[in-house]
Amino acid sequence: MRQFHRQMSRVALCGLLGGCAVVSACGCRLSGAAKPIPLTTSGRPPAAKPEPPRDRVLQVAIAPVISPQETLFAYKDLVAFIGEAVRRPARVIQRRSYAETNEVLRRGVCDLAFVCSLAYVRGQEEFGMEPLVIPQVAGKTTYQCYIIVPARSPARKLTDLRGKSFAFVDPLSNSGWLAPVAMVRKLGRTPERFFSKTIYTYSHDNSIRAVATALVDGAAVDSLVYHYLARRTDGVSGTRILVSSEPFGIPPVVVPPGLNETLKAELRTAFLTMHQSERGRRILAELLIDRFLPRSATDYTSIRTRLEAEERS
Amino acid sequence: MNHGGGLPVTARLLNVGIRVKIVGIVLGTVLVVGLWVTAQTRRALRATLSRELEMKGLSLARDVAAQSTDLLLTDNVFALHRLLLDTCANNDEIQYVLVLNGQGAPVDHTLDQPPSLELLRANRPQRPALAHVSRLRTTAGWIRDVAAPILEGRAGTVRVGMSERRLNAQIAVTTRRALVATILAGLAGVALAALVTTVLVEPIRELIEVTRAVGRGDFTQTAPVRAQDEIGKLAADFNAMTASLLSSRQALEREKRARKHLLQKVITAQEDERKRVSRELHDQTSQTLTSLMVGLKVLESSCPADAAWEQVGNLRAELADALEEVHRLARELRPSALDDLGLPEALRRFIREFGDRFGIAVDFDCPEPAELPLSPEVETAVYRLVQEALTNVAKHARARTVSVLLKRRDASLLTIVEDDGRGFVVDEETTSPESDRCLGLFGMRERAALIGGRFHLESAPGEGTTVFVEAPLTEVPSGG
Repeated sequence: MRQFHRQMSRVALCGLLGGCAVVSACGCRLSGAAKPIPLTTSGRPPAAKPEPPRDRVLQVAIAPVISPQETLFAYKDLVAFIGEAVRRPARVIQRRSYAETNEVLRRGVCDLAFVCSLAYVRGQEEFGMEPLVIPQVAGKTTYQCYIIVPARSPARKLTDLRGKSFAFVDPLSNSGWLAPVAMVRKLGRTPERFFSKTIYTYSHDNSIRAVATALVDGAAVDSLVYHYLARRTDGVSGTRILVSSEPFGIPPVVVPPGLNETLKAELRTAFLTMHQSERGRRILAELLIDRFLPRSATDYTSIRTRLEAEERS
Repeated sequence: MNHGGGLPVTARLLNVGIRVKIVGIVLGTVLVVGLWVTAQTRRALRATLSRELEMKGLSLARDVAAQSTDLLLTDNVFALHRLLLDTCANNDEIQYVLVLNGQGAPVDHTLDQPPSLELLRANRPQRPALAHVSRLRTTAGWIRDVAAPILEGRAGTVRVGMSERRLNAQIAVTTRRALVATILAGLAGVALAALVTTVLVEPIRELIEVTRAVGRGDFTQTAPVRAQDEIGKLAADFNAMTASLLSSRQALEREKRARKHLLQKVITAQEDERKRVSRELHDQTSQTLTSLMVGLKVLESSCPADAAWEQVGNLRAELADALEEVHRLARELRPSALDDLGLPEALRRFIREFGDRFGIAVDFDCPEPAELPLSPEVETAVYRLVQEALTNVAKHARARTVSVLLKRRDASLLTIVEDDGRGFVVDEETTSPESDRCLGLFGMRERAALIGGRFHLESAPGEGTTVFVEAPLTEVPSGG
């Protein structure tokens, strides 16, 4: 019996040793790397690339006419081209609303900005925002407001949208707010009563998407943006234009008040001569822009008038 | 693995009992299979959980990347930070979330200290549109780090670190359960194997014990027949064999007892007959011859004729010889001294006569008769054995001297007859009854056995012969 116990304990020992070997082999496979990586550091981690001095960078503010991602995609080559023309690295500044973008201009944080016509009119009034150049698109220096509806919508005219939900873009957008409001007022209505519900999407492509996905029954968008996005397969699919407004002065390229005159002149030259180079033409073609023209080529009087009327009501 | 013993491991393994073998095999099999299954389960579980962790990490990183794009482009750091904190709060497997800008510098993170340079450089998307997973060994343990590009990397990168802690804990719990199951299965297996082997081995063990008992001569033991299986049949056959052996052994015993009884009878009858013939010779023949002798003496004294005188004288001498011969014959047949004076004296007389007759010097040494309490049968037997031994010496040994030694040893009488003759080869044949030449030796052995004594012979060619006879004393005198 004692021998039995001894044999049994030997058998058990062998089994346990075997088991331990298996387990430790599994364990060994997991370890074996070098030094573990510390997650944090007590000091400040060095930036990957030292930022160039603030005044040597061309800061370009772009109002959220289209959503930030689309903006970056659309403007990156143009911004880079202008930066190279003035021999400065260019950096894009984006903000959530037109008002915030105007604020960037007011404080002179940027050197150059792409804004909406209405934002320009307001900026010019409020702090002397200065137009630099204007784009010419399809031979014109004007653009329109499109009232769009879902492709399957039974609406045939603007009054069909009565009692429906509607999307505005931004309170500082001409085509996305002022123009449709004026169109509704022309019908003798106030937007608050005409539409059952209104929302702000803070960019034109968002408004188009809101209509395409039937989140709202209608929206007012920039004709330039609409055509720009229409080139994409799914850019404006699921929507159709219900009505279009009369033409307005095209949104300008602006500079903050008090910008260095030399830089201002260099920038202006860069824009105005852009269509003369092959690369410039290609970039402009991507944006559906023919060329840039001096600021005097269009006027914003109709917008100014409407704004005043709206402010009065 | 040779634990001190001289046997190799295989031989040692083969030598252990069936019970140990079966229990060992079962336990070993259960342990090996259990550990293998545990290892496989661990591996499969680790693979599955790792894949899940990676998928979750990828999904989270892509989600954060999609949600943080606009926030990053519009510099909305607060909303970005809240996004990261919410993401962390909703998933306890997240060790950290980092958002790096297009240049790889950290924009925001959920760590309590700034992220280390090693961590920042540890992983990045391999292609602009594809997230990449790296397994990092960090100070907080193993981490699956997912790097998802934001806006194809132009806006930056989201890094989500998925800790393997919960994965390891799950694996540990599963492993523990599997090991406990293995141990329980092992215990159950051992119990079952022990039960099975008890059922199998117990009858065999009983059979072994019975076999040993039968080997010792105990035929009363029988092997229990519990079932009509192979072992049961073996036990039944074994019992039948034992019964057969017992009956043949009993028959043998009976025969042996009868033979012994017969032999006893023969010897007693022989002694009685010798005694009768001896007494006849002594009482009748010897008296007749003595009367004749007396008659011849009278005739001699009364007969004047010289020739007749001489004739009578011759007759008387011849008669004296005959008388002497009759006396010797009577003594040899049954020495009256044995009955009258005891063994030592009877032997002394016989030896003296033997020496005189064959011209061989015989030494004789014997204790006092009082020290040798012997039964008449034993006295007769020892006398006859010495007589036979000396007769053999006279016939075959060509010895010059013989010594006869009687001495007491414990509760027996030891008789040694030693000669310096030519000796012979002692082998099986010389002491078996089939050999005519040695029938005498066999008879000596039988005679010794009849009185409960022992006979032993030592001899070699040229070395002489020694006969040992050990005979029991009737009683043990007190005080040695």
